[in-house]
Amino acid sequence: MNLVYAFAIAAQMGCGVYLLLSRHGMRILIGIVLLSTATNLLIFVAGGLRFTAPPVIEPGLQVLAAETANALPQALILTAIVIGFALVSFAAALMLKTYRSVGSVLTSDHVDAEALGSPFDREAPRNA
Amino acid sequence: MAWIIIIALAGAAIARPAAELLGKASGWVMSLVPLVLFVLILRHAGDVADGGAVIATMSWVPSLGVDLTLRLDGFSMLFGLLITGIGTLVTIYAGAYFAEKPVADMGRFLALILLFMTAMLGTVLSDDLIVMFVFWELTSLTSFMLIGFDGHKPEARKAAIQSLLVTGGGGLVLFAGILLIGMTLGTFSFTEVLARSDELVASPWAGVIAVLIMIGAFTKSAQVPFHFWLPNAMAAPTPASAYLHSATMVKLGIFLLARFDGVFATMPAFGTTLVIVGSLTMTVAALKALRAEGYKAVLAHSTVASLGILVMLIGLDGEVAAVATVGFILAHALYKAALFFCAGTAIHATGETSLRKLGGLARFLPVTAVAAVLASLSMAGLPPFVGFISKEYLFEAQLTNGWNVVPIVVAVLVNAVMCGVAGVVSIKPFYFKSHRVDAVKHGETPVLLIGPLLLATGGIVIGLFPGGIGDLLIGPAASALYGSPIDVSFQLWHGLTPMLVLSVLVVSIGVAIVIWWDAIHDRLRRHDRLFRLIGDGGYHWVVDGTLNVARLSTRILQNGDQRRYTAVVVAVVVAGLAIALFAGPAGLYIAAPDGSLRVSVTLVLLLSAAGAVATVLGRSLIAALVSVGIVGFAVAVIFMLNGAPDLALTQIAVETLLVILLTAVLLRLPARQRHSRTVGERRRDAALAGAFGLVIFLAVASMSAIPLDMSLTEYFGQTSYLEGFGRNVVNVILVDYRAIDTLGEIAVVAFATIAAWALLRGSGPSKRAKE
Repeated sequence: MNLVYAFAIAAQMGCGVYLLLSRHGMRILIGIVLLSTATNLLIFVAGGLRFTAPPVIEPGLQVLAAETANALPQALILTAIVIGFALVSFAAALMLKTYRSVGSVLTSDHVDAEALGSPFDREAPRNA
Repeated sequence: MAWIIIIALAGAAIARPAAELLGKASGWVMSLVPLVLFVLILRHAGDVADGGAVIATMSWVPSLGVDLTLRLDGFSMLFGLLITGIGTLVTIYAGAYFAEKPVADMGRFLALILLFMTAMLGTVLSDDLIVMFVFWELTSLTSFMLIGFDGHKPEARKAAIQSLLVTGGGGLVLFAGILLIGMTLGTFSFTEVLARSDELVASPWAGVIAVLIMIGAFTKSAQVPFHFWLPNAMAAPTPASAYLHSATMVKLGIFLLARFDGVFATMPAFGTTLVIVGSLTMTVAALKALRAEGYKAVLAHSTVASLGILVMLIGLDGEVAAVATVGFILAHALYKAALFFCAGTAIHATGETSLRKLGGLARFLPVTAVAAVLASLSMAGLPPFVGFISKEYLFEAQLTNGWNVVPIVVAVLVNAVMCGVAGVVSIKPFYFKSHRVDAVKHGETPVLLIGPLLLATGGIVIGLFPGGIGDLLIGPAASALYGSPIDVSFQLWHGLTPMLVLSVLVVSIGVAIVIWWDAIHDRLRRHDRLFRLIGDGGYHWVVDGTLNVARLSTRILQNGDQRRYTAVVVAVVVAGLAIALFAGPAGLYIAAPDGSLRVSVTLVLLLSAAGAVATVLGRSLIAALVSVGIVGFAVAVIFMLNGAPDLALTQIAVETLLVILLTAVLLRLPARQRHSRTVGERRRDAALAGAFGLVIFLAVASMSAIPLDMSLTEYFGQTSYLEGFGRNVVNVILVDYRAIDTLGEIAVVAFATIAAWALLRGSGPSKRAKE
């Protein structure tokens, strides 16, 4: 089972990285979504998946029964999911704004702050 | 004694505003500062006459054990007197030298000169090695600013940077040596280091310390292979060259070596290295002096040769060597500063720097010519000048040391070249008829004459009456250098000795060099390759190489392409993870399949993987969005199947929102038309992404083999109802145990909302004229 989990996480992360390397703003966004989903799954697996009962204290008991799922990573992931959502929303707004002001979603066209190529190549003729 | 440093520093601080007020008289007025210091130092002469030392301590950085301890012994007094004495003359001379320049220039120059003087005094007087290092680096910095004084000239800037890189870099090497000393002995006090030198030499670090200190000294004193910066430093105004680059700063390396000669006395390799490096430097510098063209360049090369002689002398053992070192430092400071002053006056008068184009200047600058001849006779080592005495001691030190004949031959030849150079720099520009100068721009003024005349006549007066200066300065200095009192008989006439024979030989060869100067000069100029080898080619190779590496790495790393930046980050992460996996203490370890295959979970996981792959392969962005939704919902199902209903709920909600949000964004974007990456780029990205996935797979697979610490989870399970009054442990953790974290999370969401709203507010689809 551990190897299947590893395979699924690795596949999601690899695809996420591939999309992140794209120059298309939308593909980068999708890459971020994939990566954060895969990361959450990774934390989940790291907490150990021995038991499938939810970590809820049964009525009548004072403490959690022994054979329940690990509650700690769940709490962490719950935070992470929401943060990831905020991140993607902000990135989407940023991309939309960039598209509106620059007129392109390709990062290769976003050259106002920093043009493509080595800075020396452009300085050279100016100095000569 | 601390007043010495304070007065010097105050002088440097007021020099600029004072120059604005005083105008042309500021040279005279500011020269009072070094003059007062000269007298102050001289008053201690009695205290150090018997080889003792005056020590004054102030607490400076007590937490680091650094004290501002000042220590004046015979040797540092010699330096202190040279620094303040020549400093006085330089300040006066600068007043006339800058007379035609703007007053602001003069103020800047005087401030730098006095600041430099402060740094020099601090270096030679401090007993604490850390304090000495601080002042040492300050001399490098002021030297940098003085060489680059004419900042509008490119060669001045280049020379300034070169000297800073060499001497500043050497200073850092020296600092490493000092720190090692502190580590070995637990003290930075030089007095204590000297007292416990046996301990230092016996430590395993002794060799490293000696090498580091030698490198620091060699860079400062322009020894091979760092000899190239000093001639280039002649871009500085001539008064600065006279002061920094002949009389004082370049002798700091000598000062340091002489100080540590006592510490490393029992380490024979120390002295041997000094003799070898000194001899090499002498040879190289003598050759370059014969080939040089500029007036100041010839003097600079001969200065390097003199520094080589001094380094060699320190490498020799015995009382005579100590006396010879001290005598030569004094003699050289006197005649070389005088010659620089004369060169400055000649260059100032004609605007011509090449020695070949100067001639017959004695008609216009008669007194300067006389001063130049007097100084050069001392440099040539003729009686009755002090240069003669110091050269006699030099040969005596060599002969009594039983070294083999090579250094003696080198010393004779180099001294002959110096003798020739002395003749050439004094006679040729002033008396030779060839390349006669017919008119001068500025004549000599009395102020320009005070410095060279005083120094040049000082050379002859000391030569004629050596007894007084011998008792006052040379005896105490040599005693301090030698480590125990020496009975010095500093005399002009030693009788008919082998040294006298060598002197005669030197002078004969020197005269021959003067006569055939032009011929030798022309012949040497043909050997370009040799001189490139002993020039500053190595320095340029290192500097250019560093710049090229910087340019190359910028071209690779900083090329403006977002994709490249991401790729670099991913590659580094992959490499870091791979190294951690393979080089970890246990090596690479993959847990065996645990055999507990759950069919439902496996199917959902495979679905999520397929969804991820479809996201990449799908050509349309809508299809990609659908696929990414599949991945998100599949993960939600995984959460559900493993006892995390809260996660599943949140994941489903967020995933739905995300898909809606991204679709809304997508509607406003143009339909995708072309690939943003070339085929090659996509292949490379696929390889990188594959490597990333592989590393993650290995990491996750080996993770399940590591035992899990469940104590925190158990604590939450035990206490969440009893202390947090909640049955859902996950919720209790979020809103109770980690409430502040949850608050932060909500704040992040709020900030993201505000930022997104600010970005998108009011701006309709107003695109730039791209479409």
